[in-house]
Amino acid sequence: MLRVDPTSGKAKWTGSASFKSIASAVLSILIGLIVGAIIVVIVGLVSPEISNKSIGEGMKLVLFGVLSTGRNAAGQLSFGFNAVNVGNMLFRAMPLLMTGLSVAIAYKTGLFNIGASGQYLMGTTGTITTALVLGNTACPKFIVWILAFAAGVLLGALWGAIPGIFKAYLNINEVITCIMTNWIAANLVSWWFEAHDVFKNAAEGGKVAYTIPLKNVGVVTPKLGFGVLTPGSQANGGFWIACLIAVLMWVVMSKTTFGYELKACGSNRHAAKYAGINDKRNIILSMVIAGALASAGASLYYLSGNTEFYWSTYMSLPPEGFNGIPVALLASNHPIGVIFAGIFMSMLNIAGLQLKYLTPYNEYIADIIIAAIVYLSAFSMLFKEILNRREKKSGKHVGPNANAEVENRKEFNEKEVVDMIEAEEMAENDETSAEYDAKMKAKEEAKMAKGGTV
Amino acid sequence: MASEYVIEMNHIRKEFPGIVANDDITLQLKKGEIHALLGENGAGKSTLMSVLFGLYQPEAGEIRKNGEVVKITNPNDATALGIGMVHQHFKLVDVYTVLDNIILGAETAGPLGFLKKKEARKKVIELSEKYGLNVDVDAKIEDITVGMQQRVEILKMLYRDNEILIFDEPTAVLTPQEIDELMAIMKGFAKEGKSILFISHKLNEIMAVSDRVTVLRKGKYIGTINTKDTNKQELSNMMVGRPVQLEIKKDEAKPKDVVLKVENMSVPSKLHKNDAVRNVSFEVKQGEIVCIAGIDGNGQTEFVYGLTGLEKMSGGKITLCGKDVTNSSIRQKSDIAIAHIPEDRHKHGLVLANTLEENLVLQGYMEERFQKHGFIKFDKVRDYALELIDRFDIRSGQGPVTVTRSMSGGNQQKAIIAREIDRNKPLLICVQPTRGLDVGAIEYIHSQIIKERDNGAAVLLVSLELDEVMGLSDRILVMYEGEIVGELDPKKTTPQELGLYMSGAKRDGKEEK
Repeated sequence: MLRVDPTSGKAKWTGSASFKSIASAVLSILIGLIVGAIIVVIVGLVSPEISNKSIGEGMKLVLFGVLSTGRNAAGQLSFGFNAVNVGNMLFRAMPLLMTGLSVAIAYKTGLFNIGASGQYLMGTTGTITTALVLGNTACPKFIVWILAFAAGVLLGALWGAIPGIFKAYLNINEVITCIMTNWIAANLVSWWFEAHDVFKNAAEGGKVAYTIPLKNVGVVTPKLGFGVLTPGSQANGGFWIACLIAVLMWVVMSKTTFGYELKACGSNRHAAKYAGINDKRNIILSMVIAGALASAGASLYYLSGNTEFYWSTYMSLPPEGFNGIPVALLASNHPIGVIFAGIFMSMLNIAGLQLKYLTPYNEYIADIIIAAIVYLSAFSMLFKEILNRREKKSGKHVGPNANAEVENRKEFNEKEVVDMIEAEEMAENDETSAEYDAKMKAKEEAKMAKGGTV
Repeated sequence: MASEYVIEMNHIRKEFPGIVANDDITLQLKKGEIHALLGENGAGKSTLMSVLFGLYQPEAGEIRKNGEVVKITNPNDATALGIGMVHQHFKLVDVYTVLDNIILGAETAGPLGFLKKKEARKKVIELSEKYGLNVDVDAKIEDITVGMQQRVEILKMLYRDNEILIFDEPTAVLTPQEIDELMAIMKGFAKEGKSILFISHKLNEIMAVSDRVTVLRKGKYIGTINTKDTNKQELSNMMVGRPVQLEIKKDEAKPKDVVLKVENMSVPSKLHKNDAVRNVSFEVKQGEIVCIAGIDGNGQTEFVYGLTGLEKMSGGKITLCGKDVTNSSIRQKSDIAIAHIPEDRHKHGLVLANTLEENLVLQGYMEERFQKHGFIKFDKVRDYALELIDRFDIRSGQGPVTVTRSMSGGNQQKAIIAREIDRNKPLLICVQPTRGLDVGAIEYIHSQIIKERDNGAAVLLVSLELDEVMGLSDRILVMYEGEIVGELDPKKTTPQELGLYMSGAKRDGKEEK
């Protein structure tokens, strides 16, 4: 009987699966960029004020905007390492990374956290309030920093707990409660800052509905190396903290009994309950963690010091929250992948700004391109599926487990496959999984045939 | 010259990439006969039927109707040739009436598109009376029993004037009495000149009703024999390819201390206001297998949920190994004494998205040997998984890292059984442990359960399979409408008597009026 070597078996399996995840993410990014470039061309062609030269430049900027260093003396676009762009890219990646992490972890535990925006707002409020109140006291600034961070995270965690509690005890879909808590948060936050003049930035004339930047009270995240790496940019140590949290979440989710419980609960609540896992508690904890992560993104962003919060948000929700969804999707919900997906998304942002500054394209074009890529990132699942199918059909294997597969294939010949009608029936509900099941069943039986029912 | 056969499938070969699902299979159905198609799961029965219905085109071979070669390219062709099928899982619209379901897809309508229900109704009632089906045409599907639903499926075939009737595992969902009735109906059809193809792996039924049997194994044609010239043992050997132990062999039970004591247990129902389990009391001792028998839906599921803690009880007391665990959590109960092979292996038994090794420690991941300070010791989990895979012969594509969703049902069940038996708990609860499995796997699982009993475990078996109930248990408790209506000794009772209890016709030794 054939038995895959256990140690190499593991390597083969994860190797293949993560290969597909990465391949599908790269594929959707590439297609997204191409679509973006096509939009640039079309807009360029229909706009009389945009010359053919500008169209070419626009396409270059969409692809390499982050490396743009402006224009040289001859008026040509120049490219090279742009510390400000790169630093700002990482800085803007920071909150995206955290909301992406929030969505990804919730997803891994079977929950769709569309409430990251609300949690982000609550984190913002907790952090700014604490920092501005304590910043004027004699309390050492680094302690204020820690307390402000903690307050933001705590508030976001509590906010995340609400949909969790509704889901666990009343079985109300978390999507509905998340959307509602988003708007409650938006209004709550507007009211809070409206009602308290101490937080309003009255010093600078002409600014309405902005909070006082935290640098005014001396609460600023240290640069932790970014002063040297990317001088002149907004990047600071918060980026390292975000990366650290991502690694930490990866360890928790994949190495600990706690992560095991959360994932078991997420994949099959009934089986988790059967195994004595407290499913209700775990659902709430998942949402608490998701809320804490999203709000940590906000805390890190505003603790940078020079960021101001536009608090009159009752009409809109912060985009960072929703952008966490495509970030998580692009990363196939892998905590480490989220780091890269977050950076990529903010890279597009920087490219958009360059497009606006250096060409006649206006800023909205950049948003359209980003939207196209975000939209296509949702396709990464589809691409993954296509990769799977190709593999099935052609018998060629993308992953490094091709040898084992080929060996299985030889044994197929003696074998019957599929409960086809069953598969057909199942297909009505879930085509891909049925196909997959049937296929695996065949493989399984092939093995039994060879192993011999002795 | 007209052929002796109404339908012939000659030398059918159907390949899927790299696999031969049907290898030179011949199936010849005579007019007016009941022909059984026998084979284990994955033997090629369903593929063959799919070819007959035009869902697949065979690579080789031909299909003949009354001796003439026919081409079947889609299910409509099959219907036009008078072939109809009752699927194992009924294809009925729950909220429609019986009549609406029967005419669905074969409606006759007037010029303005209005349905001509009156004619349809008359025809259905006539058919129902002619074959003694006793179906209420105006009842909604959701309100009638599974047995009646099956008759609706049969009526669907008759309404379409099908001459060739295929029954796919028709008895899986029926009570013994309903099975007898179905057999009579099938014989009636055969007498009328209709031809029946009866797909099954239940040997008793095949012996009872069929005229001839065709056996398939692993995609190959093994042979066709007259039922009266063979016996169950020969058929099962043909089907499995090796001698199979059909009778469950076990020694006399030697019950010792009481492990589980249930007093006046009641469990609420999810479907209605009354309790699904009412006032149930019994004991299970070390070294005995006690079986809760009953027709599906008589409170067995809720009973097990209440016992294990998946549902809250509405009353009663449970004592496990001398400890009152009435209000204990699932984890506490399972730590003290319960190993549980759940009824639904996909819902409760496994996290299908996880790997085999992760599932093998689903109950034990928090134990000292698998974790340290909350970190899972993956190397220990791997060693343990390899050991169980070896000991219980769990077969899968990639060993411990196989995603359980991709494993066959039998091996998924083996994984659960391995996990639960290895926990060595004083009480083993097995709920329908062999559901949907084939003969070889059933034989293995039964032997494991008996081994557990002989090792001193108290075994509580909940089963719908009469053979399993009669063969495996040392004591039988019959559950009917949430109550225990009788205790039987399997050595002194008959399946018929058991059936009377299960259907509520008999209670505590007395016939119900």
